[in-house]
Amino acid sequence: MTDATTTLAPAPVARRSHATLGRLVRAELRWIYRRPRTLVVLGLLAAIPVIVGIALTFVGSAGPGGGGGDGASLLATAAGNALVLPIATLAMALNLLLPLSAAMSGSDALAGETAHGTLRGWLLAPVSRGRLLLVKSLGVATFALSAVLVMAATGVLTGFVLNGTDGLVTLSGSTLSLPAALLKVAIAAGWVALQLWAIGAVALAISAWTEHPMVVLASVLGGVIVFSVLQLLDALEWLHPFLLNDSWLALGDVLRDPMPTGGLAEGALRAACYIVIALSIAYAKLSTKDG
Amino acid sequence: MSTSTTATDVVAPEGAATPAAALAAQTRGLRKLYGRTVAVDHVDLDVPEGAVLGMLGPNGSGKTTTIRMLLGLVRPTAGTVSLLGHAVPEHAGHALPDVGALVEGPGFHPFLSGRENLLRMAAAEPRLATGDIPHAVGEALERVGLAAAANRRYRGYSLGMKQRLGLAGALLVPRRMVVLDEPTNGLDPAGTREVRTIISELHAAGVTVLVSSHLLAEVEATCTHVAVLHAGSVVAQGELAELLESGSPALLVSTTDGTAAMEALRASRIPSRLAPEGVRVDLTACTPPEVIAALVHAGVDVHEARRARTGLEDLFARLTQEPDEEDGS
Repeated sequence: MTDATTTLAPAPVARRSHATLGRLVRAELRWIYRRPRTLVVLGLLAAIPVIVGIALTFVGSAGPGGGGGDGASLLATAAGNALVLPIATLAMALNLLLPLSAAMSGSDALAGETAHGTLRGWLLAPVSRGRLLLVKSLGVATFALSAVLVMAATGVLTGFVLNGTDGLVTLSGSTLSLPAALLKVAIAAGWVALQLWAIGAVALAISAWTEHPMVVLASVLGGVIVFSVLQLLDALEWLHPFLLNDSWLALGDVLRDPMPTGGLAEGALRAACYIVIALSIAYAKLSTKDG
Repeated sequence: MSTSTTATDVVAPEGAATPAAALAAQTRGLRKLYGRTVAVDHVDLDVPEGAVLGMLGPNGSGKTTTIRMLLGLVRPTAGTVSLLGHAVPEHAGHALPDVGALVEGPGFHPFLSGRENLLRMAAAEPRLATGDIPHAVGEALERVGLAAAANRRYRGYSLGMKQRLGLAGALLVPRRMVVLDEPTNGLDPAGTREVRTIISELHAAGVTVLVSSHLLAEVEATCTHVAVLHAGSVVAQGELAELLESGSPALLVSTTDGTAAMEALRASRIPSRLAPEGVRVDLTACTPPEVIAALVHAGVDVHEARRARTGLEDLFARLTQEPDEEDGS
């Protein structure tokens, strides 16, 4: 209660009507990465390639029970190969764990903030609804990217520690130099990040409609599971091009030499469409929402 | 309180009803429907510049909804809002940088410290240069008495400390207008006093303050103007002093024989009616000495005579209860 006069004195202030975008993004990232939950999720994701790598090396090359499909065969190849391990674990995590973390980030971004009453603080500052969505999208995208990068990095490191830098053999049988192998991991990580951005955008769109973070998590997770089931039904082949996960198996293409780009490009395009549509819906809702 | 009454004379000599007076905020025909529920209807609110306007009303009378529309958080179903000369919500972005607000309780992240929470809030304040943010946050914390607890997590704050942090958020930047929705919720008596001090400091600096409350004593002590909401509409507004005088003055006379007293007063053409311990005498046409003289001359024993207190409480009770008991117009 002291020192009132200094605060009250009309200070010569910049007549800006909004805070700079950089400052908002910095504040948002600071908020995301100071959150205990964020760090726990990143830590768990980082542990996955380590666990998978150790399991494959010491327990034997048998893939996780049953499974089948490309993912399991990828994992089997990952034993004793520092190139395949990070990409195989990314492909595995893309089925559930990575979408879950993207959904978590998206649900906190708008629904979680609304539930805490903290979104109001920024709206009153004021931060326009459009800028708010932009900042939130960048935050979710950064988190998704960091999740993927953390997994890729520990995957590469685990592979090197267990197998050394030799034997970077592609699925086509050719052996790659270290830089070429790292480039392939980077391409895979970038592509997976793009898929996660699509999921994050959908999560943000749902997040704009509710103040319950759980609703966002449940919807996205339910969606991922339903999409996987639909993918198995051949009778619904006409629907498959519209499903985001239709080209997720194409991630294995990165490990071929030369790399077939058709499936990867289609998947990237599909993710981009999801992002555009989901963010448009999020903006439409957010701009008319009661704060 | 002496500060508020003298300030009334200085700041808003025209009174709220005069359109000529500069208004910091104004609503016209404000209406908000939630589904088929009418939350607020026909709200014509005037907030004179430099005034401390107390918004009174029972729970659910539309105080918070009105404030949320005033700040552009909620789109009105009908009606217009002007805040610091800008239409809201269309041009809220021009008005809001100069408005500090604590609406619907404090909203902060439990896993961040009080200081971190304010830093995050300050990042969005257009009027703060990036370099000034840590200083402004420190000063705001100091001002609400939270400096010692600034680095503790918000999760561990008491209700009163949370409320103080919310107040600090509204005071991060020098404002032209400050809107406080129930600012003393959960505060101890010392905290309540401090909020009063802050409000009078803001008032002395020429800041317009809009404070909603259901604590009448608090409003009476701090406000220059009052607006009373009831069932979603404004039932009275204006300068506090004027509103308090608007009730008819009365004298309460304690006597053992009320009927005799009434007869004596009727003989002197002084209107009166029976009250629990005597009679209640209408003072619109006479003075207390005349009443006492009339009673004493008639031989009625007068134990005690006192002015009926027309406090804010009576005014409030009259405004918010009468429509239900009578015709409701």
